[in-house]
Amino acid sequence: MTALPDMPLTGAATRTSLWREEGSTSMRALGYFIGTFAVALILGIGTAWYMIERGSPLTTMSAGPWKSWLSEGNPNADPYTRAHLARSGRLPLTSTAARYFVSRTDSWGHTLSSGCEYSVVGLPLNARWWSLAVYDQYGSLIPNPSNRYSFNSEEMIRRADGSFHLNLSRNARPENWLPSGTGPDRNLVLVLRAYGVRDTDISGIGQIPADRLPKIERVRCE
Amino acid sequence: MRVRLPGLYIALCVVLAGLIHIAAVLTLPMLAPRDAHARLAALGPANKMIQLPLPAPGRQVMPLMAPDVRYAICRYDLSKGPVRLKARIADGNWLIAFYTPLGENYYTVVGGDLKRPDVDLIVAMSDQTVAEVGVDSPEAFDNVVVVNSPVEEGIALVRVPLTGQSRSVEAERALKATYCGAHKGSNQSSSP
Repeated sequence: MTALPDMPLTGAATRTSLWREEGSTSMRALGYFIGTFAVALILGIGTAWYMIERGSPLTTMSAGPWKSWLSEGNPNADPYTRAHLARSGRLPLTSTAARYFVSRTDSWGHTLSSGCEYSVVGLPLNARWWSLAVYDQYGSLIPNPSNRYSFNSEEMIRRADGSFHLNLSRNARPENWLPSGTGPDRNLVLVLRAYGVRDTDISGIGQIPADRLPKIERVRCE
Repeated sequence: MRVRLPGLYIALCVVLAGLIHIAAVLTLPMLAPRDAHARLAALGPANKMIQLPLPAPGRQVMPLMAPDVRYAICRYDLSKGPVRLKARIADGNWLIAFYTPLGENYYTVVGGDLKRPDVDLIVAMSDQTVAEVGVDSPEAFDNVVVVNSPVEEGIALVRVPLTGQSRSVEAERALKATYCGAHKGSNQSSSP
């Protein structure tokens, strides 16, 4: 009888300590699991966002500051390109009819900003029609007093050697002036589109050599 | 065991991240609320050619639209039969592109490849028979191109790249003359 109360007591004590240990272990495991899940969520969504928004060597061709989604608009496009297209809200032509090149930086990798002045220098593209347009980071045209948003193959003034020099700046500049708008600094996006590219590869995709794409040089910043 | 645990969690994390990554990429096209089809559906009825407003700051229907291209769309609905699309292209720069609601450009008419300036298209699904209704003669039917649409509802987008700032009015007038409407039964057709 005397031993009996002792037995459950010690038993209970052992059990509680065991429970406490088990409890803390399972709590720690739960904490680890939640932590693992949170990290996985950030990693998974983050990498998906980056590969959809900015592209990767799997889906995009890069040449200097220019990026081009190769399968954009193609019915057999990969899931990343499809997601990119759905998010963008655009209706682009496939690369057999047109090529699009998008740049968010200058040739040195600095983000394009309306607070800076840029000189875009290039040679005419071998295409039926091409155009170089500037947008804000959301893809909207930028208001400016001269209502000038782009220069196309018919409008661009060329120099004697055939090259064009386009000035992307706030204030009026000679030659081809593409206004980047007044007001607070905003990030800019340049889009070069070429319809009916004459050189094609065997699958009919318009080919524009990387060295034919314009160079974007920063002249000065305010 | 304790030494192996972080490795186990890292492996679990990588596998989970991969699964979440795949799920996010695959579901995004279906979850994007402001895709091009949704933007264009707000503009007007189906089976009608609608000229898009001149791209200007704050008035763009879609982002990154070319400011020096004039656009017209026809959101077609083939549930009641094929749809006819007619245009008289003014120059070789014209492009008539066909899209599924997901933005897949499944067919494009390139103006520069055409021998005649008149484009006459019948958009139909593969299981729809395209009768020679509304076509004057069998010879005339030879000039009609049947576009096989993989979807019942889709978009035809006409692009007219400008060859100079002064050409805008000209391009808009040419776009106004394009027609899109029901193919069968000429009494159904609306004015061009």
